[in-house]
Amino acid sequence: MNDELKSFIFRELVHLPDATLFSDDDDLLEAGLDSMGIMRLVLFIEEKFGVTLPDEEIEPDNIQTLNRISSWIERHR
Amino acid sequence: MQVIDSILRHQFYSPDRTAFSENDTNVSYRSFFVHAERIRNVLLHHGVKPGDSVALLLPRGISAACCIYGTLFAGACYVPMDIQNPVSRLSYIIGDVQPHCVIGDGERPDWCSASVAWIDINDPAFFKDEPQDDVDVIYRSGAEDIAAILYTSGSTGNPKGVSISCRAIDAFVDWSSTTFGITANDRIAALAPFHFDLSLFDLFTGIHCGAHTCFVPQSLTLSPARLVAWLEDSAITSWYTVPSILGFLAMRGGLAPGRLPEMKRILFAGEVFPLPGLVKLANALPDVALYNLFGPTETNVCTYWPVERTRLGALETIPIGGVACKAGLMVNDEGELLVKGPCVMSGYWQDGDIRTAQEQWYHTGDRVAYNDRGELLYLGRMDRMIKSSGYRIEPAEIEAVINRFEPIQGSVVIGERDPISGQRLVAAVVASDSLALNELRIHLKQNLAPYMQPYRIVQLDALPLLTNGKVDYQAVAEMI
Repeated sequence: MNDELKSFIFRELVHLPDATLFSDDDDLLEAGLDSMGIMRLVLFIEEKFGVTLPDEEIEPDNIQTLNRISSWIERHR
Repeated sequence: MQVIDSILRHQFYSPDRTAFSENDTNVSYRSFFVHAERIRNVLLHHGVKPGDSVALLLPRGISAACCIYGTLFAGACYVPMDIQNPVSRLSYIIGDVQPHCVIGDGERPDWCSASVAWIDINDPAFFKDEPQDDVDVIYRSGAEDIAAILYTSGSTGNPKGVSISCRAIDAFVDWSSTTFGITANDRIAALAPFHFDLSLFDLFTGIHCGAHTCFVPQSLTLSPARLVAWLEDSAITSWYTVPSILGFLAMRGGLAPGRLPEMKRILFAGEVFPLPGLVKLANALPDVALYNLFGPTETNVCTYWPVERTRLGALETIPIGGVACKAGLMVNDEGELLVKGPCVMSGYWQDGDIRTAQEQWYHTGDRVAYNDRGELLYLGRMDRMIKSSGYRIEPAEIEAVINRFEPIQGSVVIGERDPISGQRLVAAVVASDSLALNELRIHLKQNLAPYMQPYRIVQLDALPLLTNGKVDYQAVAEMI
């Protein structure tokens, strides 16, 4: 996964300074990613990757882990 | 409490109407009442007496609502606790409340002192089917008796309990039901956690009016389009929530004219609604009345402004409006809003009792001014309190936790302006030695609620000081 996105998630959304503590399949929602965090994440992805993420796809299934976020972005590239 | 008279009336005259629903469960007024009575009986069996307090460690939902009514039926006051709080904060609150008992889900957790009775919500006594004809034994609380204690962030570094009387809840229920015209035909969405004062509307106004209150499934707050669909499917007419959720829906929920056809009114409070989000919401839902409600937990709602769509384009920030809940309002020479009236708290709860009783005027700490229409405008805080995503946060509470961490020598927490949540927390720290940021993060997670976690921690060589030796917060804000 894009390092910039990964560090954004850990720095800004789940408040862990060190992403290495976390595997690509660990649960981000349990780690503290909340609705405001999801909003920030979606805006960040859209800006950085130039994709449009459909409103109805903004849901836990696509956001729960780093792997799911990656494949969500890939589907819209 | 008039809401207790109301539920007695509804369970008798319209027993089969739905009082609450949660996921696929509907509970009628009659069965809600019977269940609350059972809980009352269990509490009495545990020796709860009028004037005692009962702490609730339960997720928002029908069971917790039932426990609240059962507690009030016993003449006791309820203390809703945030199950997401770390153990240290929960045990502090239990120690401060000194409740007669705690109702929780499952076994007593290790942190909960054995000196407080623990009642498991799964206790079979709660479900015992026995005749319930003893309606008259419901305890009649006096107007000044405390009905609820809501814990909020404290500037001393510890959470503080705001004591809310039966009189204050009645006054809010009266005002909100008449001002917004809530009737038995309304369907109310309930999303606010019970330790938030917004929940008083969900718990009491709807029941008073004989309305149907639907608990919003928690997971939906993470998927705006599904939340909009749920509001539609549940035919919600009324919703009292925070701007950050409404902004999320307005931006990404697929709202447009024609959506939410049943919705009549949306009330919001807890933080300033950023104008772009509000304009988007107002345009997407042209037929829904929007109301900006204002007031700290200590006064509940003391002013409100019915959103005037035609003025939104010309405003820089939305007014907080005029008098709500029969409040007396005064602006002192420093520009601080003072409030008195029936909704104002009885005082702060400390060590098992009201230790700081409220004087006539409550000093809100909010700086306000009147505009040329006679509406109040919110200008900011007199002190350092931060509002973020509807949460009220005292930086001192976070700083106290940071300062307990070796080798921190000092810290300052500041709210950085943020278009999504209003403000975000940034911590500036000074450490004598190299700082293990990972371990500081873990320490913060163990001691502070999720919404109190700074999103950024900046290490400074020293905190800038004013000539009088106090920390120069302005300068800190510029450095981080």
